[in-house]
Amino acid sequence: MTTLALQHYLVVGAILFVIGMIGFMTRRNLIVMFLCTELMFQGVAINLIAFSKYHANFGGQAFVIFVLVIAAAEASLALGLVVLLFRQKNTLDADAWRELRG
Amino acid sequence: MLAAFSSAFGLLLPLAYSAQVLEPAAILALCVSAGIGTVFLLPSHFHPSWRKVGGAILLLSGLTFLFLVLRYTAEVKQTNLHTIYFWIFSAIAIFSAARVITHRQPVYSALYFVLTVFASAGLFILLGADFMAGALVIIYAGAILITYVFVIMLAVEARSPDHQSAAQMMADYDDYSRDPFIASAIGYALMGVLMFVIFDRSPTTLLPAHNPSPAAVRAQSGAPDVSGNTQELGIYLFSSQQVSLELAGLILTIAMVGAIVIARRRVLRLRPVAPVVVEMVVFPATPVDDNPHSIPVYGTDNPTQKAYPET
Repeated sequence: MTTLALQHYLVVGAILFVIGMIGFMTRRNLIVMFLCTELMFQGVAINLIAFSKYHANFGGQAFVIFVLVIAAAEASLALGLVVLLFRQKNTLDADAWRELRG
Repeated sequence: MLAAFSSAFGLLLPLAYSAQVLEPAAILALCVSAGIGTVFLLPSHFHPSWRKVGGAILLLSGLTFLFLVLRYTAEVKQTNLHTIYFWIFSAIAIFSAARVITHRQPVYSALYFVLTVFASAGLFILLGADFMAGALVIIYAGAILITYVFVIMLAVEARSPDHQSAAQMMADYDDYSRDPFIASAIGYALMGVLMFVIFDRSPTTLLPAHNPSPAAVRAQSGAPDVSGNTQELGIYLFSSQQVSLELAGLILTIAMVGAIVIARRRVLRLRPVAPVVVEMVVFPATPVDDNPHSIPVYGTDNPTQKAYPET
């Protein structure tokens, strides 16, 4: 059995989430922005699995399956949108779509 | 080798000063220094040597944080290979996650993200979630990341060489990040709050005694004995999560249809059409003669050339 505490896994998940959030806010490449979203998903998934182990309940792992499903759906739709946006302005810069800010 | 490292690790642990809780001031100072390091490390207008300084600051604060967490862990007093694997996997995951957001080239970001996925799959195995680790590697590293790399290559390949401004923008938007200072401040503020909450109590070991494992529960109730986490997960999924599972399949189908609809056909309509240059043929393309069976030539200005065959 593991001698690690629950907190170790929570810390790793939190660090991954925060790194993904910083990347999402700072990077300007649309593809890298969506990669950072996937990083945030990773952090959440580690948290969920750790709590699943802690409570000896499979709900956490089932939830990670659904997180993976949503991540896959999000990735396919987002990459389709990225290709579409790239073909419109011929750049991947998120700032090129500044007028969408309203 | 690993066993020797493990024993050395166990000897080192009691040397560290044992404390119940991480001090909030230490967490705050670490977050501030890591934030400064991140600002310098992100792609920006600074001289490249500043990136090295930022990387050094970030590494130093990471090592300090590692030491603090080790001190926090010291009361567990027990070290085995499991623990060593945890430190290795989490170090790889965090390092490659930092490279994902600080590397200038998107392809390398994607590859470092693959490394993060593998490391967190290792963490999942340590947590006893074998099926989820496999699914993570297959779905993320096998499917989603391949799609990302495809799109990166497609987006670079579709750029025609005569778009100089687009090329400059391409170099520009990967080299300069947007508001690194504000984003780091917000991100590390969130990280500090999370650390306060997580380290607010003494370490709670995984698998507490008051929570019996599902296998033990089922053995008591006389249900058929299954072995392995994967089988238990399958039984759980198909007994109490049936509707959610069907909905997940439906969501995937809808996303597939939506992606096809989004990325289809409009590609050709939106690309700028190059003007068609029509060249007049000054010299006759075919020999001029009076043979009515020669090849008819349409649309020439040459009066000696017959526009139509006389037959």
